[in-house]
Amino acid sequence: MNVLIVEDERQLSHEIEIFLTKQGYHCDVAFTGKSASEKVFVNSYDFVLMDIGLPDYNGFQLLKEAKEAGREAAFIVLTARGSIDDKITGLDLGADDYLAKPFSLLELQARMQAILRRKHGLKNNTIQIHDFIMDIQNRSVFFEKNVINLTKKEFDILHYMALHKNRVITRVQLTEHIWGDVLEEDYESNYIDVHIKNLRKKLAAFANSDFIETVRGIGYRLNMP
Amino acid sequence: MKLQVKLALYNAISKALIIGAFGAIVPVIIQGIVYNHIDKRLSARLEKMMRMVQLGGLNEISLDQDCSFDSYNVFKEEYVSISPLGGLPKDFGNRSIENTERLIENEIVKHRVLSQAFLYDNQLYEIEIGEGLSTIDQLNVTIRQFTIRILLAVILISIFLDLGFARILLLPFNRIVNKKLKDVQHPSTFDATPVKTSTYEFAQLDRSINEMMLKIKETFQIEREFITNVSHELLTPISILQNRIENIINEPGVSNEVLSRLVDSQKTLSRLTRIVKALLYISKIENDQYNKSEEVSIRELCEEVIEELAERIEEKSIKINTSFESDFVYKPCNRSLIHTMVFNVVSNAIKYTKSDGEISLDGKMSGEAYQLTISDTGVGIPSEHIPFIFDRFKRFRPEDGMSYGLGLPIVKSIASFHKIGLHVESQPESGTDFQLLFPASVS
Repeated sequence: MNVLIVEDERQLSHEIEIFLTKQGYHCDVAFTGKSASEKVFVNSYDFVLMDIGLPDYNGFQLLKEAKEAGREAAFIVLTARGSIDDKITGLDLGADDYLAKPFSLLELQARMQAILRRKHGLKNNTIQIHDFIMDIQNRSVFFEKNVINLTKKEFDILHYMALHKNRVITRVQLTEHIWGDVLEEDYESNYIDVHIKNLRKKLAAFANSDFIETVRGIGYRLNMP
Repeated sequence: MKLQVKLALYNAISKALIIGAFGAIVPVIIQGIVYNHIDKRLSARLEKMMRMVQLGGLNEISLDQDCSFDSYNVFKEEYVSISPLGGLPKDFGNRSIENTERLIENEIVKHRVLSQAFLYDNQLYEIEIGEGLSTIDQLNVTIRQFTIRILLAVILISIFLDLGFARILLLPFNRIVNKKLKDVQHPSTFDATPVKTSTYEFAQLDRSINEMMLKIKETFQIEREFITNVSHELLTPISILQNRIENIINEPGVSNEVLSRLVDSQKTLSRLTRIVKALLYISKIENDQYNKSEEVSIRELCEEVIEELAERIEEKSIKINTSFESDFVYKPCNRSLIHTMVFNVVSNAIKYTKSDGEISLDGKMSGEAYQLTISDTGVGIPSEHIPFIFDRFKRFRPEDGMSYGLGLPIVKSIASFHKIGLHVESQPESGTDFQLLFPASVS
């Protein structure tokens, strides 16, 4: 998988590069719109992560040009401008997704995987988690023929952990994922723990749910062979 | 009252006053002139009669048996009478003039009468010469009636003319008010084209409004750019830190102690992110960056919010009561903002309600507004804190922990963006009532 990271903030593009390289992506970086434009038209990428606020180039312009030229790459627009119009403009111009800075790298990866699933049809639409089967399309979890009645948030947590299996996910990362853009007060609480507790209980009614491991003081990990 | 109506009324009243005064004074003046003429005529006749008496004696005038003489002309318009007097009047030798009513041949006729006493042949007589006033009174009545008719006609015509004229005159003014003030939803859509008018004051008003609105427009634009810049300048470094921490957490070989401090840093950073985002959110609402073109059913919205918060409600074993006398579709609005507003209020209620408490959501029409009351059996708010609960960064409870004091300010800015009324009543230790008043008719 080839990814082009278009981001004028070098430290940020570096962190994204480290993360994606570890996940097995092959990364290329462009710090200016000019070099990004050259690279997009010369090389073939699966993903272009594109910062809209480039100093020398309007990111939307680049997106438009690339889309018009029929480039295959999936575009994910990254922006810190916080303008509501940006999101709409980006998606209108054919971007595949939109992430507002600051975003979690796990969130970025989850979005990339979602795009892949969409692009490659319904092949990978279920995930096997030990004895359970997760149907992503219909947002349900089965044990053999039994549907396990999960709430929306419980499903989201399990899905997120499955996407990032064998990796510690902190409470902050989980909270940001399931509460997303909701701006509210009561954030730093133990609600994640409550959700996990309920999730474990519901799964345990059918089979062993020890694969959801609590990493003390840090977060949770879904262990899978 | 409309200015146009006021102007017309003022004109009508002033004209009525002038014509009314005219109508009151003219008859008096005419009467004065006419009396003056009559008096002169009567005096001349008296002189003539006296000369006749002096020359030919009373015998010249045939007296009745009682030595009196009366002479009327046919229409009783003029008459002369001489009658003997019993005693000497005090004002002997003076002429007196007065209006009297005389019964003549079974008809009361008003006369102006000049009378004088005189001595003749050692006998006191009084001579009276009268002239009828009926014609003059008639004239006065006619003049009065005429004046009243003219008055009414002039007032009516003038009201219509004035209304029409004021309307034409005020046309540019109304255009300025509608186009430049009423219809302007947002400074960015303001149209500064001058309104055509030949009235100096209106042109000046238009100019002033234009200048003012353009200044506001500019300020809004500057603020918008500022928000964008601040977003970028603050959120980019946060983004770098957040991703770096995430990467380090996943480095192999990081000791548990370092790991837990990294997680703490992540929490702190997340808190910073939320504060910055909340402040930007408020600024964007206040800068009118959200459109208001959607509609939302308040009842459905409440149900949605309760469902989203179901786990928290369950966790605290809070009982939720909902009662909606009627549903209400609020429009135009921004759905996501209204959702955030109700969400924050309900989540606040959950936060301050003890386990096994109760939260009620009540919706009903109340006059011109739909009233949504969210009441809890929570810890309540001391009355001295209530005026400040919507202020940014006000935190009254040490146990609030990581809360940053922006939940209610967000509620307030969304409410004022939509012109939704906010009202809080609280009884410490027994609960808080949060009232949201959605205006039923939004123009």
